[in-house]
Amino acid sequence: MLGSFTVSRPTELEDALRLIGEDSLAYWGGTELFLAMKMQLLVPDNLVDLKAIRQLSDVRRTDSELVIGAGVTHEQIAEDKTVRESAGLLSSVTARVGNSRVRAQGTIGGNLCFAEPRSDLATALLALDASVDFRSATGQRSLTIPEFMLGPYWTAREPEELLVAVRIPLPAPAGVYLKFQFTERPSVAVAAVESGADQPVRVAIGAVSEIPILVTADDWSGIDAAAIAAGIEPVPDLTGSVSYKRHLVEVLVNKAVAAVQAGVRDV
Amino acid sequence: MSEQRSHVGSPVLRRDLFAKVTGSAKYTVDITPSGTLHAKVVRSSHAHARITRINREQALRTPGVVAVVIAEDLKDLFSRFGHIVPDHCILATGKVRYYGEPVALVVAETLFAAEDGAAAVEVEYEDLVALMNPAEALAQDAPLIHEEFYRAATDESFAAMAAAPTPEEEAGERDNVAHTVEIGWGDVDAAFADAHLVVEDGPVHYPMLYAYAMEPYNAVADFHDGQLSVVSTAQHPFMVRTDLARIFDLPLSRVRVEAPYLGGGYGSKSYTKVEPLAAVGSWATGRPVKLVLDVEEAIYTTRADSADVTVRSAFDADGTIIAREFDLVLDSGAYADNSPLVLAKAVNRCFGPYRVPNVRARGRSVYTNTSPASSYRGFGAPQGALAGELNLERAARELGLDSFEIRRRNLVRPGEEILPGKRGIDADLLADLEMLSDSLNSHASADSAIGIGFTASDAGAFPVSTAQVRLQVDGSVLVLSGSTEMGQGSESALAQIAAHELGVPLESVSIAQSDTIGPYERTTGASRTTTLAGLALQRACTDAKQKVAEMAAEVFGVPATDIESIEGGVRVGDKSPVGFGEVISRWFGAAAGEVTGVGLLRRDGVTKKMPPFWEVGVVGVDLAIDPDTGVIRVQQLATVADVGFAINPRAVEGQDLGAATQGLGGALFEELVYDGPQLTNPNIVEYRVPRMQDLPERIDTMIAARGDGVGPYGAKGAGEGTLNPIAAAVAGAVAKATGKWPTRVPLTPERVWRLMNDLPEDGD
Repeated sequence: MLGSFTVSRPTELEDALRLIGEDSLAYWGGTELFLAMKMQLLVPDNLVDLKAIRQLSDVRRTDSELVIGAGVTHEQIAEDKTVRESAGLLSSVTARVGNSRVRAQGTIGGNLCFAEPRSDLATALLALDASVDFRSATGQRSLTIPEFMLGPYWTAREPEELLVAVRIPLPAPAGVYLKFQFTERPSVAVAAVESGADQPVRVAIGAVSEIPILVTADDWSGIDAAAIAAGIEPVPDLTGSVSYKRHLVEVLVNKAVAAVQAGVRDV
Repeated sequence: MSEQRSHVGSPVLRRDLFAKVTGSAKYTVDITPSGTLHAKVVRSSHAHARITRINREQALRTPGVVAVVIAEDLKDLFSRFGHIVPDHCILATGKVRYYGEPVALVVAETLFAAEDGAAAVEVEYEDLVALMNPAEALAQDAPLIHEEFYRAATDESFAAMAAAPTPEEEAGERDNVAHTVEIGWGDVDAAFADAHLVVEDGPVHYPMLYAYAMEPYNAVADFHDGQLSVVSTAQHPFMVRTDLARIFDLPLSRVRVEAPYLGGGYGSKSYTKVEPLAAVGSWATGRPVKLVLDVEEAIYTTRADSADVTVRSAFDADGTIIAREFDLVLDSGAYADNSPLVLAKAVNRCFGPYRVPNVRARGRSVYTNTSPASSYRGFGAPQGALAGELNLERAARELGLDSFEIRRRNLVRPGEEILPGKRGIDADLLADLEMLSDSLNSHASADSAIGIGFTASDAGAFPVSTAQVRLQVDGSVLVLSGSTEMGQGSESALAQIAAHELGVPLESVSIAQSDTIGPYERTTGASRTTTLAGLALQRACTDAKQKVAEMAAEVFGVPATDIESIEGGVRVGDKSPVGFGEVISRWFGAAAGEVTGVGLLRRDGVTKKMPPFWEVGVVGVDLAIDPDTGVIRVQQLATVADVGFAINPRAVEGQDLGAATQGLGGALFEELVYDGPQLTNPNIVEYRVPRMQDLPERIDTMIAARGDGVGPYGAKGAGEGTLNPIAAAVAGAVAKATGKWPTRVPLTPERVWRLMNDLPEDGD
């Protein structure tokens, strides 16, 4: 059961930033937050409901980047025309996150900040070379995904910071996202993308170890699935032991690379 | 009686369908009498430990807390329950025997206060050696989980199958074996010595399972003025009443147990669970007390027995079985609950519906420091069938026979006994086999691996059933039955039977079920309701019609022989028909009154021979395995419901698909896993149940109706049989696809991958 707490509903970002802190947590969809609160892992005094702050729900594109507000839900991303046209892989990934309730309620910002190690988005955004923007009452900063994701349920975000947007450089690389999923969350996920001739190919491997890992190479011949698998430190659980998950990494990397080379996109 | 079967044998919509889909159906959790207090259970954080101190001072000071009940408060009560062995403490007494065991009950004005109070109860423990599996519990120097000997209660079903303990046993050395069952006939050793082929398997492991009724256990109890009234999620309200009456030393007539719609049962809600906790909460406070468990608490309340089964079978050169020998060890957890009966059934069912001239089977139900195990859909049959059918499959391979042919040569024919002295098989298994073969083989593809399984369950439980039919003056009909509607569709089936027997429209029949102030029903389990409650209801209808005929004779001043019972009423000579309502009205001399027909069923007549009927399981699957990942795709599922007569074919198909899907859960995904004293997956995220996308690509639920059951219109029970051989069929198909023999289920992707690659079963 949830304990007692208050809820603030600011309409201006500046007001929200003044409220957010150690015991006053940002709240949007609640898909992760309420679970943690029910388990008493988080016991906030106050929740700052961000849903009335319009700018956090924006999706916009400039010549050089796609900017997605932290409060955009998985479902909205999956259905957004701008996202589909400029970063089709992200559309495909968000359409397959969790279940329909999570997709309808959960947001890109909440997903990243919770840092569930099996997050689909973190893996995909790492492959897409995304960065995340933070604001606080006193400042702002931007971090790359590797700078941001520090460990399971652990990010570089300070308590008084709010993740306000995710930036994906354009033109976004294109490719595939494959995952092995036996239970509610994936056991292994692989995003393989390329940006065109002369650009390095990128393979992100997520869900399997504590944080997603990025491997780059000049071209696909430089991606050695067996070596990648051997270098991964899988977290064993009921869906697979270390050796099985390493095997799955090799299988999925090989499949993903073959698919990209065969011209498959946005799957 | 009319031969027209307009109301039975045709697919009807379930009566509870719209209420359940729209949310208006009432469940136990919806019932909160005014003045209700809310309870929260303080649970053991140790698997096996002495309780050295319980401090409830702080909890009692928590605002809103009314009482904190612990074992010592119950010393004037009979503070244990259990219908076979009353070994189950309502609240842990002296020691705890599993992680999650109730230690204290905090009762408060609100659930919040109860939770705060529960968090404030301090319990100190002194650890004892925890025995987390049967191997540890059976070890020579293992400490006792139960030091005390409990005299068995008188459970007829159990008594009919297993002898009561002798005085020597009562006085003898204790061990951690809760119960032992041995059966056998013929000369097993000689048969093995003469055999052309002996095939041995095991131990084959069947997992601990959670039945996952969507509705967790909950109850509301009200004890006042020497009467106890309980509303609960009980499959067997009359059995719960017996336990509650013993606890408080009340006559049965002063205990009322009601069970509204159940949100799924699957055996997990049979017998007493949370009712004593709610009841002692009310007894202690004098106010109604409501207790609602969450899913984790429900998982720690009841699970299915896991099993390790070893089997050896002897064959002639032509594939005829000449002997089978089984050894079964069930992990029954900390308390016996229904496990001794599950064990007895597992032993009766393990060798399959085959002609086996020489049998030796021994089973042990073992106490361990894990959550208590009890009934689960299938009731011991899946545990034994996995090893037994897999063993038959291996024999087929060695004999050069296919899966169908080895069974053709060994399945019993209709009327043949598989348990000496018991009812012969009331099914045509060979005909069922051909249906299965046609269905699967005509849709097989290049990558098909087909596995099949057969089981026979001595079903129906002990035949004690009663029903009442109350004919109303307006011609409508009220049926009272003590059976429980838990999603299986009994409400519709009983209405169909009554409408058919009385010749009245289906819509004019109302059904009221599962309340101990109504007529007695022993249990709702063992797939018995349609057959046994159905027979009692038929008799009640006959009784009602006879009473109406007698009244009509009096009203019309004619001999009873001149009264003909017709659809919906009577005919006097060649005059116009007179409806039931009019006869009643004229007899009472007012637009008032009613006629009650009573139907009684006991172990006599058609239900004298045990079991009342056999519930067979006839299933096949067609699998394809991803060589890269070990993921199994179920391409086909075929089932044969050998039900004698399908009163509601739609319900029979639904039950079979449900049972098969639940069986696929245990075969492919589901397993409760202990790591140390606790489960690693006591939740429905990590305890993986089947989902919509896991359903087989082609599903063929066939019905074989040959009128060979003892129930109404030749019907027999359904709803469990199809689950029983599913794991065996899946394991057999995996053996065909991989050329390797599985030794356990669920066959998760990793397990299949390890099997394919000759890797050890467990490894990093």
